[in-house]
Amino acid sequence: MTRRSRLRAAGALLVFGIVGAIVLLLLTRPRPLDVSALPAHTPDPARGEVLFHAGSCGACHKAAEAAPGADEGLPTGSAAFPTPIGTFYPGNLTPDPETGIGRWSEIDFVNAVTRGLSPDGTHYFPAFPYPSLRLMPLEDVLDLHAYLVSLPAVRSPHREPDLPMTALARRGVGLWKRLALDDRHFEADPARSDSWNRGAYLTNGPGHCGECHTPRNWLMIADESRHLEGGPHPGGKGRVPSLRGLVERGRYKDVSDLTLALRFGETLGYDKLSAGEMAKIQMNLARLPESDVQAISEYLLSLK
Amino acid sequence: MSRNRKRALAVALVAALAAGTASMADSSTDAIRDRQQTMKHVGGAMQNLAAIAKKEAPFDSEVVKKNAGAIAEALKKATELFPEGSDKGDVETWAQPEIWSDRADFEKKLETAEAAAVALQSVTVESAFPPALGKLGNACKACHQTYRRAKE
Repeated sequence: MTRRSRLRAAGALLVFGIVGAIVLLLLTRPRPLDVSALPAHTPDPARGEVLFHAGSCGACHKAAEAAPGADEGLPTGSAAFPTPIGTFYPGNLTPDPETGIGRWSEIDFVNAVTRGLSPDGTHYFPAFPYPSLRLMPLEDVLDLHAYLVSLPAVRSPHREPDLPMTALARRGVGLWKRLALDDRHFEADPARSDSWNRGAYLTNGPGHCGECHTPRNWLMIADESRHLEGGPHPGGKGRVPSLRGLVERGRYKDVSDLTLALRFGETLGYDKLSAGEMAKIQMNLARLPESDVQAISEYLLSLK
Repeated sequence: MSRNRKRALAVALVAALAAGTASMADSSTDAIRDRQQTMKHVGGAMQNLAAIAKKEAPFDSEVVKKNAGAIAEALKKATELFPEGSDKGDVETWAQPEIWSDRADFEKKLETAEAAAVALQSVTVESAFPPALGKLGNACKACHQTYRRAKE
């Protein structure tokens, strides 16, 4: 190789590298909603509280020192959330100005919940279930926000996840979002009852049941062709049961049976809902209005 | 020592070790089977009690006494059903290792459940039944949540 052709090769490589980096930066860049997207809405913290429990937000955003089985208390975050790729420390959802969401604007909160973006525009890892939460209408997200800011502020500093190459991986989440997420919103099925639609919304939106009960493909994207069919446990150990055909497979008798199971769990002898993560979720569902739990049951039992 | 005797000794030693391991495996497998059987009985009795709470069966203090009594009886012996080393066996177990590493807490939770079952035995008024059953159910839950792996 002559000196000239070597120089030319190096130059080509440099141009290639720069173009590649720009393309990657563009593909991974955050795409927040603009403040003009906010609807005119008077937030209702009471409705927000229902959504908070429907999402079992407190089951993950809990204090690190909470004893197992104890009441979750305030969603101060920082308890370890282990996954096969690393350990996450869910954030502080109380309105503490320094360490919580006290200084967040409404659009900051909407972007966090529906776009998986922090107020400074970095990507959240999808251990935070925004792929499901983004189905929520913005009015509901604002209600949830109003509930959270009504809670007492607790100081609980943010903790970065224990992951290999966190910063790079975080940027890479932008690419994953492009592949995994569309601009889908929840759409009611007019052929079904209001209750069924409410159940479908709570299950697939705020309840984010599919985050565990829908299997993922090799890119860790939920495989909606196998919606709620169960599969390997995302925590890496064991399996998550299917939520389809619960009556046909003899798990529950009917809607009122499943409603009792979700509301009372093992208190009424339903021992399948008493161990592991599902125990915490059942205890959150127990705090929903009975009509909402019944709606979830009605929807789930319609899945054959 | 002759070469033959050495060999015989080695064989005997291996055989003894194998027998020891096998009997250990057997006894832990037995323990796992025992406790699963016991828990099945407890679950059955719980179903009978839950049927009353769900109004599928009428309130009958005799039925309550019998089923709560069976649960109390089973829980009284429950600590013996989780001997050291029975975290593994030839059959699948959902028992978590914390049963043995946090033994004091595990036994305390069992005692709480047993006390709740004993209290439920003497319920004769229908209005006192749901809260008493709730106490027992919550005691089951508290223990299972920490010490039992989720089942599919």
